[in-house]
Amino acid sequence: MNYGELFRVTLPETALDLAALLVLLVDLAFLRKAALQVRVAMAAVLGVVGCLAAMWAVGMQTSAGFSVDGLLVLANGGVSAVAQMGVLILTAVTLLLLIDSSFTKHPGEFVAVTLMAASGGLVISAARDLLVIFIGLELLSIGLYILTAFGKTSAKSAEAALKYYLFGGMSAAFLLFGFSYLYGLSGSTNLSRVVLGTYMASAHGATPLLMLALVLVVAGLGFKVAAAPFHLWAPDTYEGAPAPAAAFIASVSKVASFALLITISHTALHFMESFHFKGGYVTVRVLSAGDPELHMTPGFITAWPLILILISVASMIVGNLAALAQTSVRRLLAYSAIAHAGYILLGLAFFSWEPRSAQAILYYILTYGLTTIGAFGVIGVVERATGSDKLDAFLGLHKRSPLLAAVLLILFLSLAGIPPLVGFWAKFNLFAAVLSVGGGFWPFALVALAVAMSAVSLYYYLQVLKRAYVMPAVDETPIRVHPVTMLVLVAIAAAVVLAGCFPAVLQNWIASF
Amino acid sequence: MMQGTNGFAFQTAASGITQILWLIPAIPMVAAGVIALLKQPRRKLAATLAIGSLAFSLLIALAAFGHVLSGWTSGHAVRETANFTWLQFGTSTVDLGWVLDPLSALMLVMVTFVGLLIFIYSTGYMAHDENFTRFFCFLSLFAGAMLGVVIANSLLLLFMCWELVGLTSYLLIGFWYQRPSAAAAAKKAFLTTRVGDIFFLLGIVWLFAQTGTLLFYNGGAGGIEQTALNGLLAAPAALGLSAATVIGLLIFAGAAGKSGQLPLHVWLPDAMEGPTPVSALIHAATMVAAGVYLVARVYPLMQAGMPAGGTTTALTVVTWVGAATAVFAALIAVAQNDIKRILAYSTVSQLGYMMAGLGLGGVAVGMFHLITHAFFKALLFMGAGSVIHGVHEEQDVRKMGGLRKAMPLTFATYAIGMLALSGFPIIFSGFWSKDGILEAAKDAHFSKGPFWLLVFGAVLTALYMTRQVSYVFFGKWRGHGHAHESPKVMTTPLAILAFFAIALGVIGTPAWPWFRSFLEGHAAAVEFGKFGESEFLVLLLTSTVIVLFGIGFGWLLYGSKSPVPEERDVLEKAAPPVWAALRDRLYVDEFYGVTFIAFYKWWAKVADWLDRRVWGGIVVLVIWAFSRLAHFDRFFDNEWVNGGFDKGCEELSSGGGLLARVQSGRTQTYLRLLAVAVVVLAVILIWSSRP
Repeated sequence: MNYGELFRVTLPETALDLAALLVLLVDLAFLRKAALQVRVAMAAVLGVVGCLAAMWAVGMQTSAGFSVDGLLVLANGGVSAVAQMGVLILTAVTLLLLIDSSFTKHPGEFVAVTLMAASGGLVISAARDLLVIFIGLELLSIGLYILTAFGKTSAKSAEAALKYYLFGGMSAAFLLFGFSYLYGLSGSTNLSRVVLGTYMASAHGATPLLMLALVLVVAGLGFKVAAAPFHLWAPDTYEGAPAPAAAFIASVSKVASFALLITISHTALHFMESFHFKGGYVTVRVLSAGDPELHMTPGFITAWPLILILISVASMIVGNLAALAQTSVRRLLAYSAIAHAGYILLGLAFFSWEPRSAQAILYYILTYGLTTIGAFGVIGVVERATGSDKLDAFLGLHKRSPLLAAVLLILFLSLAGIPPLVGFWAKFNLFAAVLSVGGGFWPFALVALAVAMSAVSLYYYLQVLKRAYVMPAVDETPIRVHPVTMLVLVAIAAAVVLAGCFPAVLQNWIASF
Repeated sequence: MMQGTNGFAFQTAASGITQILWLIPAIPMVAAGVIALLKQPRRKLAATLAIGSLAFSLLIALAAFGHVLSGWTSGHAVRETANFTWLQFGTSTVDLGWVLDPLSALMLVMVTFVGLLIFIYSTGYMAHDENFTRFFCFLSLFAGAMLGVVIANSLLLLFMCWELVGLTSYLLIGFWYQRPSAAAAAKKAFLTTRVGDIFFLLGIVWLFAQTGTLLFYNGGAGGIEQTALNGLLAAPAALGLSAATVIGLLIFAGAAGKSGQLPLHVWLPDAMEGPTPVSALIHAATMVAAGVYLVARVYPLMQAGMPAGGTTTALTVVTWVGAATAVFAALIAVAQNDIKRILAYSTVSQLGYMMAGLGLGGVAVGMFHLITHAFFKALLFMGAGSVIHGVHEEQDVRKMGGLRKAMPLTFATYAIGMLALSGFPIIFSGFWSKDGILEAAKDAHFSKGPFWLLVFGAVLTALYMTRQVSYVFFGKWRGHGHAHESPKVMTTPLAILAFFAIALGVIGTPAWPWFRSFLEGHAAAVEFGKFGESEFLVLLLTSTVIVLFGIGFGWLLYGSKSPVPEERDVLEKAAPPVWAALRDRLYVDEFYGVTFIAFYKWWAKVADWLDRRVWGGIVVLVIWAFSRLAHFDRFFDNEWVNGGFDKGCEELSSGGGLLARVQSGRTQTYLRLLAVAVVVLAVILIWSSRP
């Protein structure tokens, strides 16, 4: 156990936590008499500085990670680094959009909790050990429950937080239960040992215990990424939480959770050079072991993708169809988030140990996260002006604020996957990766379903845009938008357009870690 | 003929000027974007931005040209590229980039220079138009896109700019969209060129499939460099043709659409509905020449596998199409009465000459005519604009006359343009560039047909230009009101262009073939002895006879008498049916009307019927099913999951405290469902993986 090494590896988390404490100190000690606006701005700026410091720390990492007894606990570089960068960038953007909000009188606490939750996200992105994974997930989740409840004057906010908390607690219990089974099957909490152990667990087919353990784990993680049928909390929480908290849940939490899913899928595959089925066994060539060929149960290899496919299909169908019938834009976004999780899960189900799959998924989740934050930013502005997030609150938006309407247009079309916006390339890369990994009928049929469902999704995105652009306005008074908010929103829209016009830039950036 | 084969070694490392070459198209495009945001009354700012940005581009273009020139004088051919990966899927990448070589450098200077003069001219011509700012926005966008076509080192980037150019052409032809004829002409231009573009796109896709790259030059790995060409030659396509030939022909189809070659020429004469500066810039000097430039750009592909002294299938097609277009359009031009339409058909005809020049004599021959033509045809169009401006928007040449006195400056410059176009010997640039084409045609081995077609075309060119000038500038004034000379801002560009219409000939004479040497990358020697060679003298004599015969015949028919508008044309009296056919443009439009357009109308009706009766029903059915499903889904989520327990609670309890119970009750339902989901998943999984 080398504590110096541990400190170096967790430097980004430390930076965020220090920033959180600094925000609290400044807000509570020096700005007690200051105007709310000043306190919000100060807290947000300090939080962004913390994120930048943490990004610098991520970039500075040189070691392969932190290991105990030769087993990796926290990884550096690769998927982990991209996910950590994503978490930090999206956290910073969320904080910038906080600047003109007034839902709370305690901006210091809000920012501090946000930063601590983000540090949980960093831990999840890097974790390679079941216990560390669990701690990271709880660190993130508890932060999110608090953030959801932050609209203290709104009954909806409290209701949403309570539901989220109860659902989350139950899921965490499932997850921990699943982890304990995995530990029992493999005798280790280290992810690669766990995966290896499950292959050895039984000589005769997959044990029901392993299946149950995997289902329990997927239930716990399915809750985090809001995949059907573990999605029930999402619409209520998205609707009730303060807009910045909802944006944070929809983006940062998703990035970290999907990074974890990538890690698990990757670990399940990466140490095997090749495998093929033979009479109920899988013959595996293991890269590191002395014995070149091992006979194993088909455990992880068949079960893991199968569960992912099931919840992926359920998410795509439930998310897209339920979104069609929504009248609240926040609920609409929640169901659309479920649908997007479904697409990404498809990429995880047909996963390759070559970097291509992981890169396509990261590309998707990062761009999706950014777009969603922008969408919640626009919703936040419209809510403040009209007091509602119903579809009709967007009537005549292009007359009330042409720039805001243009941002909404770009973001929603990108979510629907219209070229040349970045959402198109995200879908294109993801589906291409699925098809390049899985041959045969099923991958093709599932991608066809995903494409058909994307076409359905265009309908409900256009429902909002139709109100913003085509249908007659009820109220034509201009909406005032805080200049910083507008700047951030325009920057997000510009990023969505530019990343779509030059898709290679982001691809290269992801591949560079 | 092949560039650089017997010339200098290529210098390919990208220099500083190449790194910033992208600024040349980018600046006018940014200017277009800014002008688009301006309000209508900001005329002066719009014009300043457009002209300023193009002037800036001209400066960079001159610097780039200077760089190429200095490389050439110090003994190495410059071909510098800057490429970057635009997107990546799997192992294939799509690269974009730009190239600086003699070909692009020459075109850059020509486009920016002629463009700048026409921009300045436009401030006078469009002075009274209320949509002045919109006009300059479109013009700037056009200039940016056209310059993008010129510098593109990737077929894809070229195609993008190509389509942008087509879009601006559409917007500018239909600039006076209130006139139905302008709107129709714009639509026609867009759709007709699109036919060629489909083939072009097919060629691009095919080339990418065969070579895996769309770059022209990439240090030996480009799509038109030797390695790729060898592969293309070896790949069979169909009918015994190699992939190289078929791809070359597909790309030529795109070029034919843009450059108004047979049978896709029909849009160009109608395009004269646009403002005259547009006709000069887009439909005479630059855009229509883009097709010729494209063929010159992919020339290594066109001539791939050429035997020594022979030719290739692709180049033979280019030659015949060009020669046929040259004569076809010249014939029609003889019987037109609209001053701009005559010039339009003349442009089609001259583009045919350029194509034939490319097919017969190589890049230098075709490109030299392109450059000289750009100057004198821009001059003629702007002169025509000046005339139209001076005679109060009249365009029928029969209703003009005697303008040489009222508009002396316009007359002098127009006469220079006319003599250059007719190819008047020695003095004018048009003579030298057309002479190069005729010389190459005379030497062609596969057939003498193109030579005779081109000679006939040359006679007709001199004839219709003499007819036009006689009608417009000689005889008696037959219009209404008083003709007046145009303002300085319009006549000055005319004078500058007139100067170049003469002076440009110097760089392309047989004695000092600077132009060819520069393009092909070898040293140019001055040999005045060439003028004395019998071969040259024979050709000089032939050309002179042809031109003088054309001009003399025209003068005899039209110059000596002052025609009356109502009276029939002299030639019409001689052969009425032939004249009628020519006047009605040889019925090509009518032919398309009863064949392609009639077919599409019928097909549209069939599709409409299928859409309404067959597909529509299916769509309605699917929509209905989906909306039912969606409602069920919402019902399931909201009513059954959320509301089911609510109802139960409502019935069981009453009074206060209901809300709290409802909330906890709903979450319980959620959690119950979560447990059910876990059980169901586990059962499915365990069942599916049983041994």
